[in-house]
Amino acid sequence: MSIVATKETRVVIQGGPAGQNAARRMAEFCHLIKQPFIVSAFVFPPDAGKTVELPYGSQLISVPVYKTIAEATTRHPEINTSLVYVGPDRAYAAALEALNDKKIQLVSMITEGVPEKDAKLLTKAAKERGKLFNGPSAIGIISAGECRLGVIGGSFDNLVLSKLYRPGSFGVVTKSGGLSNEIIWMASQFADGITTAIGIGGDGFPGSDYATYLDLFEKDQQTKAVVIVGEMGGDLEERAAEWYGQKKRRIKLIAVVSGFCAEVLPKGMKFGHAGAKEGAHGEGTARRKAELLRKAGAIVPETFGKLGPAIQQTYQELVRAGVIKAQEDVDAAALPKLPKTVDQAIKEGDVFVEPLVKTTITDDRGDEPLYVGYAASDLINKGYGIPHVIGLLWDKRLLSAQEAEIVKRILMLSADHGPCVSGALATIIGSSAGIPLSQSVAAGLLMIGPRFGGAVTDAGKYFSYAVKQRMTPEAFLEYMKANVGPVPGIGHRVKSVKNPDKRVKELVGYVKSLGIPTPHLDFALQVEKITTGKKENLILNVDGTMAAVLVDLGFPVDSLNGFFTLARTIGFIGHWIDQKQQGSRLIRLFDYLVNYAAPKRRDVPPLK
Amino acid sequence: MAKVLEGPGMDLLKKWGMEVPRHVVITSPDQFSHLANVNAWLRDQKLVVKAHEAIGSRMKLGLVKVGLDLAGAEKAAKEMLGKTVGGMTVGQVIISEMVQHEKEYYVAVKSVRDGAEILTAAVGGIEIESQWEKIQRLFVSVGSPPEPAALKKLAKSAGFPSEMVDPVAEFLGKLYECYDQEDGQYLEINPLTWRASDRQLVALDAVIMVDGDARFRHPDWNFTFASEFGRPYSNDERAIMEIDSRIKGSVKFIEIPGGDTALLPAGGGASVYYADAVVALGGKLANYSEYSGDPPDWAVEALTDKVCSLPGIKRIIVGGAIANFTNVKKTFAGIIGGFRRAKSEGKLEGVEIWVRRGGPYEKEGLAAMQALEKEGFNIHVYDRWTPLTDIIDMAIQGKRAS
Repeated sequence: MSIVATKETRVVIQGGPAGQNAARRMAEFCHLIKQPFIVSAFVFPPDAGKTVELPYGSQLISVPVYKTIAEATTRHPEINTSLVYVGPDRAYAAALEALNDKKIQLVSMITEGVPEKDAKLLTKAAKERGKLFNGPSAIGIISAGECRLGVIGGSFDNLVLSKLYRPGSFGVVTKSGGLSNEIIWMASQFADGITTAIGIGGDGFPGSDYATYLDLFEKDQQTKAVVIVGEMGGDLEERAAEWYGQKKRRIKLIAVVSGFCAEVLPKGMKFGHAGAKEGAHGEGTARRKAELLRKAGAIVPETFGKLGPAIQQTYQELVRAGVIKAQEDVDAAALPKLPKTVDQAIKEGDVFVEPLVKTTITDDRGDEPLYVGYAASDLINKGYGIPHVIGLLWDKRLLSAQEAEIVKRILMLSADHGPCVSGALATIIGSSAGIPLSQSVAAGLLMIGPRFGGAVTDAGKYFSYAVKQRMTPEAFLEYMKANVGPVPGIGHRVKSVKNPDKRVKELVGYVKSLGIPTPHLDFALQVEKITTGKKENLILNVDGTMAAVLVDLGFPVDSLNGFFTLARTIGFIGHWIDQKQQGSRLIRLFDYLVNYAAPKRRDVPPLK
Repeated sequence: MAKVLEGPGMDLLKKWGMEVPRHVVITSPDQFSHLANVNAWLRDQKLVVKAHEAIGSRMKLGLVKVGLDLAGAEKAAKEMLGKTVGGMTVGQVIISEMVQHEKEYYVAVKSVRDGAEILTAAVGGIEIESQWEKIQRLFVSVGSPPEPAALKKLAKSAGFPSEMVDPVAEFLGKLYECYDQEDGQYLEINPLTWRASDRQLVALDAVIMVDGDARFRHPDWNFTFASEFGRPYSNDERAIMEIDSRIKGSVKFIEIPGGDTALLPAGGGASVYYADAVVALGGKLANYSEYSGDPPDWAVEALTDKVCSLPGIKRIIVGGAIANFTNVKKTFAGIIGGFRRAKSEGKLEGVEIWVRRGGPYEKEGLAAMQALEKEGFNIHVYDRWTPLTDIIDMAIQGKRAS
């Protein structure tokens, strides 16, 4: 048995993420006590029509979201309780909507910072309708082994440690959320645990209070004693004392009150709870509350430290009197466990998961990315640059300063080649059509292929094959003619012997000036000598030169097209920005640039 | 409850149709002559000058001067502005007209369970302090404003002469309306008086407390709330209040000069039990603080900074119950960050740190705290198996955990 939150309780939660989090915690409890999930619906207008997925054991449960309480209770007539998790400015309207619904009997509000007037109006509305309004600022209600409303009870481990999977004999009512958990824990250590624990919230005038629940506990035969945790301010503890002292009560009452420190602290100081404030004329002091409770027959330990022993003593007396039958403890190991996430299970060595992807270059699981083991910030601080990052991520090695300088020059020389080349034109057309940056640049990159910028890898592949096979340039050309076709890296649309490519001259000149061995570049230049003898424009082009130099530096053939792609991306981005800033108009070809060689207009024959 | 200072408080009364003395609030003496040029009453009337700050016993401290002419008022304002009293500086002065009157009365509206109480007495001023029993009360249920007949009956029963019953009842109606519409929690006018010049009821002085939580629906509340414990808030207290106002969850910080035991506990409820435990053992609190509702770690870190900066502390109590949803690991990460910075600034010299906590990620959080010992902190860490306030016994009495 229990009060307020029972096996019959079915819930609608009003609110967004905070409410969903509470629902998750409630699902954990349902899983622990092997009960079906009790949250039937959410009401959260921004997400109306969607569903919220919540883990229940190892399953996922879908809970629908509605715009109004009426929709929720019409579709789910079992709902009898609402938990309010909306902000303080809308909490009043939300709770009133719930109180106005015929099916809902209990509204519990966790929202903090709700204006006092709103709380009073809701209390009045609940009273007029014969319903229960708990809160504001109330952490929730939990009945051991039966029902959890809100996050009260804490994490799954705490539910088990505090024996919340089965009822005990103690009721708990507190203002504070944290202390409700503490008392539940104490009741499980010093006694046989709880029946129901209720957080009523620390506001000045909560919707229901100690006296409300003491009355209900008195009628619940399973509850033999109740622990209330009070604090200075207001008169809720006085009302509890009055209730307890009115007549002979079945339940034992244990009470602690905080706020004795106020006697030595500056007058008018505010504590954490809105209600924890002394009245203007000394009403509501901790001392007076403790005295009244004691006078009414409650057990009131002098300090919080003595509460545990007081609970223990009360429990033992009740057992001796035969009021409580000591129960055998459930084997905690036999209780349902909260399924581990894959992360946790791996961490604890419980499962092995075959990885889906393997990487040999990078790791960003720490506080910053590591490039082949080197922290990005270390590289920066020790003077390394972009070419070194390329060396690491494309060839897994730290380049020398000389190699880095060559890579840098290659990137600089090939960063752009004007708007007319196919790639830049594609980007420009994209930009002028209002296409965003990444898509327009991608359009340019799509042009990179055998006829534009994409011959570097192939050129490197054949040059390195020839050098490896110790071919003569003549034999190489024979081989290419017989097996491949035109030599990648040789030939240019406009450049020729008479109109040499300045970029090639620059790069070759610089690399040769370093006096390093360059077998592939030397071979390519010998090939050029022969091909230009046949036709003036069969020069070693920029793709071929880059390829030969990069292979000489030891870069893998697979990386070579990357250099052009990377470098030219800089240019494409520039073209996109340039067009964007000019506000260029949509580009459309002129008819006179098209040779219309399609058939002239003719009659369409009837469809057969 | 949030206290509103006299200037904005009087403006609220005026907004709801009640007569108040004319007044101006100034922050520098230069403003005074300019105001006197355009406000004839400042030249014609006898004036009252008061420090416009939440400082207790202003009369005794010489921060209230009455019956002044323009020159006298200007001189008094000049003297008060910038004056330092108990470490607090007077930044604002209110100058109001002295209202000639004879009898004084008392009216108030007070928030109570389920509604409000309207209080009135046909005596007021300091006389009421010794005659509280003369106050007559009327309960008003929330959402049901008082009937004029009920207010007249109240005025009559308080002993107002018959010609005053109607105007007093009307005034009480306005005061209730102000209380209800402005989310008041305690409005007390003492004294209320009968202005000789125009036969109007005038509120001479008032205590105005409103519900700070209702600020969201009062865009015209352009005032900041004043402290209620006899001194203005310090800069550190204001800094934490400012953070508190814009985060999920809460952080609270109030300084108590002269203490040696600093509080840094979790929970509005548990924190007061920690404070009680310290006081019960004869310890001296250096502050009241708490954090709750799973606040962001940076906010807890900022709070930790302020706690570590309290002068003369010998110990810091990082207590807390078993949290429902506050992430112990994350909030402790904020506290640890604050401790490390304080230590690097040489602030925690000889300070003991006592920790007790439970809740989500308690193992990880407590382990991280325990690890501070290796960094040279004098730290003692306990988990849920040590009762809540036992760390206070150990910290102050040197008792070890049983």
